[in-house]
Amino acid sequence: MTARPLDVLIVEDEVLLATELEFLVEEIGCHSVGLAMSSDEAMALASDLHPDLALVDVHLRDGPTGVEVARTIHDDCGGVALFMTANVKRLPDDFAGACGVIGKPYSEYGVKTALTYLTVCLREGLAPGPPPLGLELSPAYAERWGLTARPQAVQA
Amino acid sequence: MTDILRSERAAEELAAEHGVGDPFAAAIRAARMAMIVTDAHQPDHPIIFANDAFLALTGYQRDEVIGRNCRFLQGPGTDPAAIETLRRAVADGEDATLDILNYRKDGTTFWNALTLSPVRGKSGRIDYFFGSQLNISDKKRAEFELGDARDRLEAAVEARTADLTQALQQKTALLHEVDHRVKNNLQLISSLLLLQNRRVTDPAVKGSLRGMLERVSAIATVHRRLFQSDDVERFDVSAFVRDLVGDMVGSARRDDIKVRLDLERVDIAASKAAPLALVISELFSNALRHAFPPEAMNGRPGEIFVGITRQDEEFRIEIADDGVGLEYSASSGGFGLTIVQLLCQQLKARTETTPADPGTRVVVRLPVNGGHR
Repeated sequence: MTARPLDVLIVEDEVLLATELEFLVEEIGCHSVGLAMSSDEAMALASDLHPDLALVDVHLRDGPTGVEVARTIHDDCGGVALFMTANVKRLPDDFAGACGVIGKPYSEYGVKTALTYLTVCLREGLAPGPPPLGLELSPAYAERWGLTARPQAVQA
Repeated sequence: MTDILRSERAAEELAAEHGVGDPFAAAIRAARMAMIVTDAHQPDHPIIFANDAFLALTGYQRDEVIGRNCRFLQGPGTDPAAIETLRRAVADGEDATLDILNYRKDGTTFWNALTLSPVRGKSGRIDYFFGSQLNISDKKRAEFELGDARDRLEAAVEARTADLTQALQQKTALLHEVDHRVKNNLQLISSLLLLQNRRVTDPAVKGSLRGMLERVSAIATVHRRLFQSDDVERFDVSAFVRDLVGDMVGSARRDDIKVRLDLERVDIAASKAAPLALVISELFSNALRHAFPPEAMNGRPGEIFVGITRQDEEFRIEIADDGVGLEYSASSGGFGLTIVQLLCQQLKARTETTPADPGTRVVVRLPVNGGHR
């Protein structure tokens, strides 16, 4: 299996958070392809770069447009979005097509563990186990990655 | 014979039957309640008797009412349903009692509590209808005014409720906004510390920055937990400890250290959450970083135990390691312990550090309510 690093797009309007997040992404072996601070930038970069994963804050420079960004990435760009927001409770029930959410404030270890876990999920199409602390998967992706109520047969 | 003549004739017959000596007739003539009698044998049931009270109530002369159906009392404001009730009662030969809006000769209105009943002769046939009228305008006005007052009150309550609901929505939105900002700012502080930590090379400075990062993370974990529960006043210490310990052990990358938890669910006031979180974080970090120096462990796995129980009026928080013990561990320079001492003073909590053989045991006793006696 090819271990091409995942291309990750960061959508975050706080530049210090975004910069630190880029370091974390690189440290776990992913490739940070760009940073968008508004929904326009995010959608332009997503359709140009086709990232594997987009880390999306809900509140961007142009308002609470992150939900729309996630939906566009899911519907039109063939990518997977992951919310990173302080407003977990305000996300739509279907997560706007995103695979899950990491609640702010997150820890360095929490983000690294979550992203490492998601890397496996995206590559294998199957979760290596229940999601780590701090990461909540959307119902659709939990099912897609074999985390339904029915116990999944262990794949050797 | 004209209708009027026929009615006058009937009136005379009735009067002749109930002359001066008839006490019942006298009572009706002199009664203060308005009363009339109509002739059931004539078409359209004309009035053949009306007492003085009726004339006083309606403003008509006697010769203006005899021979007429009493519908002249009705007007444009009279409820058609009330008229229909009367019509049906007469047609069916039954009693009727109802409130109806009537008109005087001068066009003014009054509310009439009307009772209508058939009067049957010896053969059982209906000879007359007897009607009595009571002016209940005052009572009706009071009813209407009461209704108006109730409507106004209901409208006022509704308006006030709408105001309060809106105010509550605004406050809730504000609370969410503030919560959002607190969380984002904590994230920002963490990012600043992490970014600077990447730049510096001096191990002592790195250690200090790591320590500060842990403290900020502990406060951040509190805030993440605070708004997750429905009750913003109370804080579940056991859930917090689970989050905190998982994160700290994970980021320490010490697979040789196992953590054992025995956590009773314990709720404290939200205002005490951050200081207590800092105390626990500090003590746990101390054990994690100093109790198990790899060079002294010789491959032996280590264990840190965190237990929370409630004992009478105290919460007992125990953090015990089976590491090298106090005398051998390189202390972190004391700042962490100073923080613990100061915060325990603030929380009115007592700490006790004892050798655990092997290792160290720290017990924090926090009063459930108020301070230690």
